[in-house]
Amino acid sequence: MIKKLLLAWLIFILPQTVLGTESRRGFIETYEDQSDSVQELAPPVLEEMESGGTDEETEPYMDDDDLSFLDEEDEVIEVYDPFETFNRGMFWFNDKAYFYVMKPVAKGWRWLAPEPLRIGIRNFFSNLRAPIRFVNAALQGKFRDAGNELTRFGVNSTLGIGGLYDPAKAHFGIERKIEDTGQTLAHYGVGPGPYLVLPFLGPSNFRDGIGLLGDFYFSLVPVLFENRYYWIAISGDIINFLSIDKDTYEGIKKDSLDPYLFMRDAYGQYRLNLIIH
Amino acid sequence: MLKRVLRTLITGFTLVFTAMSFAGNSPTDDVRTSVDAVLAILDNEQLNYEDKRTQISGIVKERFDFRAMSQRTLATNWNKTTDEEKEKFVDLFSQLIENSYVGKIESYTNERVDYPGEKVSGRKAVVETLIITSSADIPVDYRLYQKGDKWLVYDVIIEGVSLISNYRSSYQEIMKKEGFDGLLAKMRAKIDELDSTPS
Repeated sequence: MIKKLLLAWLIFILPQTVLGTESRRGFIETYEDQSDSVQELAPPVLEEMESGGTDEETEPYMDDDDLSFLDEEDEVIEVYDPFETFNRGMFWFNDKAYFYVMKPVAKGWRWLAPEPLRIGIRNFFSNLRAPIRFVNAALQGKFRDAGNELTRFGVNSTLGIGGLYDPAKAHFGIERKIEDTGQTLAHYGVGPGPYLVLPFLGPSNFRDGIGLLGDFYFSLVPVLFENRYYWIAISGDIINFLSIDKDTYEGIKKDSLDPYLFMRDAYGQYRLNLIIH
Repeated sequence: MLKRVLRTLITGFTLVFTAMSFAGNSPTDDVRTSVDAVLAILDNEQLNYEDKRTQISGIVKERFDFRAMSQRTLATNWNKTTDEEKEKFVDLFSQLIENSYVGKIESYTNERVDYPGEKVSGRKAVVETLIITSSADIPVDYRLYQKGDKWLVYDVIIEGVSLISNYRSSYQEIMKKEGFDGLLAKMRAKIDELDSTPS
């Protein structure tokens, strides 16, 4: 059971690992009220600006310090991180695992295999996970997205030769949309819970960790690869993914004053953005 | 009489010119101009690495409002700092932002950039761009505000992650533990580190 859980984590968090970090506050929480401020330009400011009237039109320049009208999307995601000491330890461990094991192997693979092949393999695994996206889109009532995933799975499994290619996107313009069980839980009001850095996989939280169980259940990867072949397949998927990635983690490490804080906030923002769309 | 004609003329001109300056560039035009210029420099094989950096830096400085970014990063702490401290922060912060942004853009050489859409509301806008690479499409959105006849970037959002929000939460955390001077010291150390290890 634990093994399976770990495996499930392996598949799902990895693609996000390289990108970011997550999340905050308690368990029960809705995102509805935040969605506006995160993505939309809120109307009150507009009114404010229009009421400024003629002065504003003849004098479009503003005081250097008067940028308060930009403030309404000041949405700081405060990640709830009671286990920071543990998480930082795990972060350190992952950093070493990344630079001393995973990345060197990925680089070897990058050197060995041409990019189109590696992209094909990535597509293949992504296609096997299409049921996760389909089910979770449907569970959130996003039937259009669910339909798209179904179409994508049909088209890519056949015309795309078992998912190696992505003709659904290339020829029919149907894009993949990331939906997973963590997002479904969030949709029904489950907050992220404490932030958690997982071994090898990186940023996650209690909710998304539990979500991985659901993802594992719907994925076709464990159906196709059993027992130890599953481990091999999953490790291969991860290494292959890293071989395609353009050194995102290296960039983050180089740029940020504290990469741990960067990843934690970025994961939170990244997940929130997925949840509200 | 003459006065009235003159006044009408002046008002007329003012209105026309104001309208023209507003109609001049859409936020997307402005972003596109800068992005195209950056891509052209990256693709220019006659330039060495240093020249590219310098030229790109010039373009980024024109389009990014580092002061607005600094202010938004420090948020409530902005008003607690002295002018001198503000000055220092803006200087260090612009170097970091520039480095980080240019570094990201550089890794996408030879790629196409699409402009799927823009949202304008009053003096603020969001320009969506999509960097199309052989392996993935990366959504990069620019938040801009209008200053005079120019649209200036005050935030960049990559895959749903706002750079400024990210900096803000990290910097607040650092300030909580080490104070404003501690933050400045860390920023300075980072810049030295970046300068000493090129590329």
